[in-house]
Amino acid sequence: MSNEQQFSDEYLNSFVDNELTIEEKSRVYITINQDETLNRRVCELRKMHDVVQLAYKNLPQPPGRPLPKKSSRLRHGAAAGLVFALGVLFSWLQLSDSTSTLHRDFGRTANSLVKRGIAMVSPSTLAPTTPDNPSSHVLADADPQVMKVLFHLSSGKPEHIKEVLDDAESLLQLYEKQKQPARVEIITNGQGLNLLLADRSPFPERVRQMQMRYSNLKFAACQNTMDKYSDLGIETRLLPDIMVIDSGVAQIIRLQQQGWVYIQV
Amino acid sequence: MDLLTNLFGRNREMRTALEQSRSRLYRMAFAWCHSAALADDLVQETLTKAIQKSAQLRDPQARDAWLFSILTNCYRDHFRRQRDMDDIDDVELIHDTTPESENSEQQIVTKVRLAITKLPEGQRQVVTLVDLEGFSYVEVATILDIPIGTVMSRLCRARTAMKALLLREFGEQAAPQGNNIRRIK
Repeated sequence: MSNEQQFSDEYLNSFVDNELTIEEKSRVYITINQDETLNRRVCELRKMHDVVQLAYKNLPQPPGRPLPKKSSRLRHGAAAGLVFALGVLFSWLQLSDSTSTLHRDFGRTANSLVKRGIAMVSPSTLAPTTPDNPSSHVLADADPQVMKVLFHLSSGKPEHIKEVLDDAESLLQLYEKQKQPARVEIITNGQGLNLLLADRSPFPERVRQMQMRYSNLKFAACQNTMDKYSDLGIETRLLPDIMVIDSGVAQIIRLQQQGWVYIQV
Repeated sequence: MDLLTNLFGRNREMRTALEQSRSRLYRMAFAWCHSAALADDLVQETLTKAIQKSAQLRDPQARDAWLFSILTNCYRDHFRRQRDMDDIDDVELIHDTTPESENSEQQIVTKVRLAITKLPEGQRQVVTLVDLEGFSYVEVATILDIPIGTVMSRLCRARTAMKALLLREFGEQAAPQGNNIRRIK
């Protein structure tokens, strides 16, 4: 059965919209790498997705309106409730002076715990990062048997970051199981850089574990984005062993020209 | 005391969430009707109903889907009320053309919006809910109250139609134009 028949348009739409299971997605990734036509179909679907977002990025401004209020009947009810609540609150405050003291103590303890929690993340545990040479891909890329997949992360939402880590890990596990030589690179720019920032990463430990576990996985941080962050006064200290690239977009184009499969999250 | 705190806290949280959702609802309404004034009216109506029915929302996690399903109903009701004058299928949705449309990004935006207006209403709603708001197919099925299979087939048809429309639009633009010189008396 050809790939054209194997993957219907509806199936590929589900792939683009992240509706497939990790195993199903992995099958598509593998086939895309070997099938130029399928790759083009997926790219066109992604393009449709992107242009719709672009089309409604800037809209004519609506007249500013206040948030509607509830009906007057409901407002009267709420007002009556408020009077009742204030009465209850007043009597309760008179009775529970000792309780408020307890609350103040609790607040102080919580603040102290938070401070201790922050102090546990010591800057000295973070190794310095050295810029890597993007041209180091050339040797591995010369071998057509090596699967090459790049994940592009430009969102800083923890659920998106988790998704890219899950996808990359499941793909690496699959390749390992199949004894398939592969290279995977996670390129971050924009808000996606948060994944690799020591002070902001939601999953620093997971990044470290994945780096230890998979030697064929690289995390890359965009220098342009880091410069922008610095201009805004945001700390850009990276996690250990992160490759720094001149520009995330330029690196994506370079790798795509070398036959890497591009997955955007 | 906890009960009162919960009640007031929840109400405040709901109003904040509604205010924050306004721009997203407006974007969706605009993508459906391509009229700034109508989109704004639909959003205001949606927020009014959301406040009135806020007690119906049991799970705050489902707030987004709930809000967009109210917007869907408001949109449907609006055209139902207009039925004696205009049928939704006959409505020719127009797009704005301004001097800004000279630049290339604006041209793409205009052409994509035009392509979306040419889609049947059901397809337009599905493709915008998925692409603009990132709703899952299950959530879109809930919002529009249609089976998930219909969501998938409408989305597939919408993207295929848009691809064809945009290829034609940009193909025409790229083609040499022979009738540009006109004689004016």
